[in-house]
Amino acid sequence: MPHPVALAGVGFSFGDGALRRPVLRDLNLTVAAGEIVLLTGPSGSGKTTLLTLIGALRAMQEGRCQVLGQELHGAPESARVALRRRIGFIFQNHNLLAFLTARQNVAMSLELHPDFGDESKRMAAAGKVLEQVGLADFAEVVPAKLSGGQRQRVAVARALVASPGLILADEPTAALDRQSGHDVVHLMRDLAKKSGMPILLVTHDPRILDVADRIVSMEDGRIVG
Amino acid sequence: MSMWLPFRLAWRQLRAERARLFSAIAGVMFACVLVFMQLGFRSALFDSATALPQALHGELFLVHPLTTALFRPESFPRVRAYQTLALPDVSVAVPIYMAQGIWRNPVDGSHRAIQLIGFDTEAGAVSFPGLPPLISALKRPDTIAFDWKSRPEFGPVAALLAERGPFKVQIANREVEIVGTVALGASFGADGNAVMSETNFRRLVTERKAGNADLVALRLRPGADAAAVQQQLTALLPRDVRVVTHDELVAWERNYWETATPIGFIFAFGSLMGLVVGMVIVYQILFADIASHLAEYATLKAMGFSGGYLRLVVMGAAGILAGLGFVPGVLASIGLYDVVAKATLLPLRMDPNRGVLVAGLIFAMCAIAGLLAMRKLRDADPADMF
Ligand SMILES: Nc1ncnc2c1ncn2[C@@H]1O[C@H](COP(=O)(O)OP(=O)(O)OP(=O)(O)O)[C@@H](O)[C@H]1O
Ligand SMILES: [Mg+2]
Repeated sequence: MPHPVALAGVGFSFGDGALRRPVLRDLNLTVAAGEIVLLTGPSGSGKTTLLTLIGALRAMQEGRCQVLGQELHGAPESARVALRRRIGFIFQNHNLLAFLTARQNVAMSLELHPDFGDESKRMAAAGKVLEQVGLADFAEVVPAKLSGGQRQRVAVARALVASPGLILADEPTAALDRQSGHDVVHLMRDLAKKSGMPILLVTHDPRILDVADRIVSMEDGRIVG
Repeated sequence: MSMWLPFRLAWRQLRAERARLFSAIAGVMFACVLVFMQLGFRSALFDSATALPQALHGELFLVHPLTTALFRPESFPRVRAYQTLALPDVSVAVPIYMAQGIWRNPVDGSHRAIQLIGFDTEAGAVSFPGLPPLISALKRPDTIAFDWKSRPEFGPVAALLAERGPFKVQIANREVEIVGTVALGASFGADGNAVMSETNFRRLVTERKAGNADLVALRLRPGADAAAVQQQLTALLPRDVRVVTHDELVAWERNYWETATPIGFIFAFGSLMGLVVGMVIVYQILFADIASHLAEYATLKAMGFSGGYLRLVVMGAAGILAGLGFVPGVLASIGLYDVVAKATLLPLRMDPNRGVLVAGLIFAMCAIAGLLAMRKLRDADPADMF
């Protein structure tokens, strides 16, 4: 079976002509099935850029990038949109829709999967995942009434509910206090391990390094170890 | 993915910001009422402009080809009326005479031009509401029937009649007796109307050629083919008259006001302004909704929602605003029509066709606003989300 994430010789630059600045150079990285990989490195080393390429949020420039069996080099927008539906994203900011309850926010993910079932199935599944992240009592609450940690847990539930093949997270604990940050990543790890989802998580936070199966460091657009 | 989901998302988003939602609805409603009033006035004015030809009975009419509008007809020899009787299918031919006369207000003595309409009141070719019971009284010398829908500047004639019965007024320096009222309506061309017999018309209007008529109404025998008679008469009569059907007569009059005056343009322009203002309001609301939720929209894109889905959300919001603004707009317009109709005596009322037209315009207005606001979605770049 191919790895969920397999990158070979990936290069990426921002800007054109004289302003062209390489951000990723000849980068190789694989994430195995069920593996939790933490990506660290100094600011500006290209971690976020790498994550947006793997998440099919940006068009590839150089190299090969297989994600969940889809080659992203030269992939059309429609293929990238389809791939995104099979990836769970967790951002630094929760970016929940303010006008939807926690449960409705989570259920939105399932609207992208028409064969999942109707509204009642979606809402039931969303409720179950919220229960798993410890928010059973907050399902009908809008994000504004939740704490930062609770919101991020809703975001985790939203990323996980559709059983994605891969979780991508960029500094999911940056906006949280120590305890909530710790809780959120451990929750992610437990849920991912249960269903064998691989996680690629970018972080500066030394307190959460313990969840990793493997820690990868980046420097100046390259993996250094 | 069903169309329903983006639509529901649009509604939930709109609902969350009450103040924004209500100002958008108010904007659409404003545009809706404005367009309804403009189109209503337009149609009421054209309706009232054609009140006289509408009220005339008759299958066919003779008019002078150079007559542009009935308030200033070109006259033609009255003998044309009698010539039509050569055809067996024509049963009655009634010449109608029209002129302007100066009316003296019975209360304050002020002067104002009134349209005088004279015809054989017994022939039954012309009948205004209220006329039949007055026919025998109108046979007396120097009597008229007053159009109670005339502009109020002519004085409270109907009230005076109710109070003291038939009374005398001055028209063209001659005393005439008002024996009752008919309903016809003021129009662009005539602020008011007075109806009388042919003989009394000649007494009042002395300066015109006796042998000339301004309009002739023809009644045909039951079962006669109007189109065929129209053709025969056109062939038979000299070129100084045109033979027209009732519909053609009304259309002729309406066409004059629509094309020879800026009235049609003014109301079309007013409607357009209302739509532009409404569109700008809806655009701003939709734009602000997208701009203040860019991160959320970008998140949805990152999650795998397509650009098409998000565009449907924006169009859904535009459609909801159109619907929510149109319903109170149409209700408010019905109420306003009533108020304005009472105040101006214009025949202003809601017409289903106009309702459908305005609904179409309002939805198109919101759709254009949505299409313009949609461009802001491009700024929601999922690559900026991390
Ligand atoms: N949209 C962009 N246009 C131009 N340059 C960019 C853009 N995004 C990032 N960069 C540049 O690319 C380089 C890598 O940025 P990236 O965000 O990938 O770093 P990072 O490792 O995630 O840093 P941090 O730890 O601060 O989040 C930086 O020098 C940044 O200035
Ligand atoms: Mg970063």
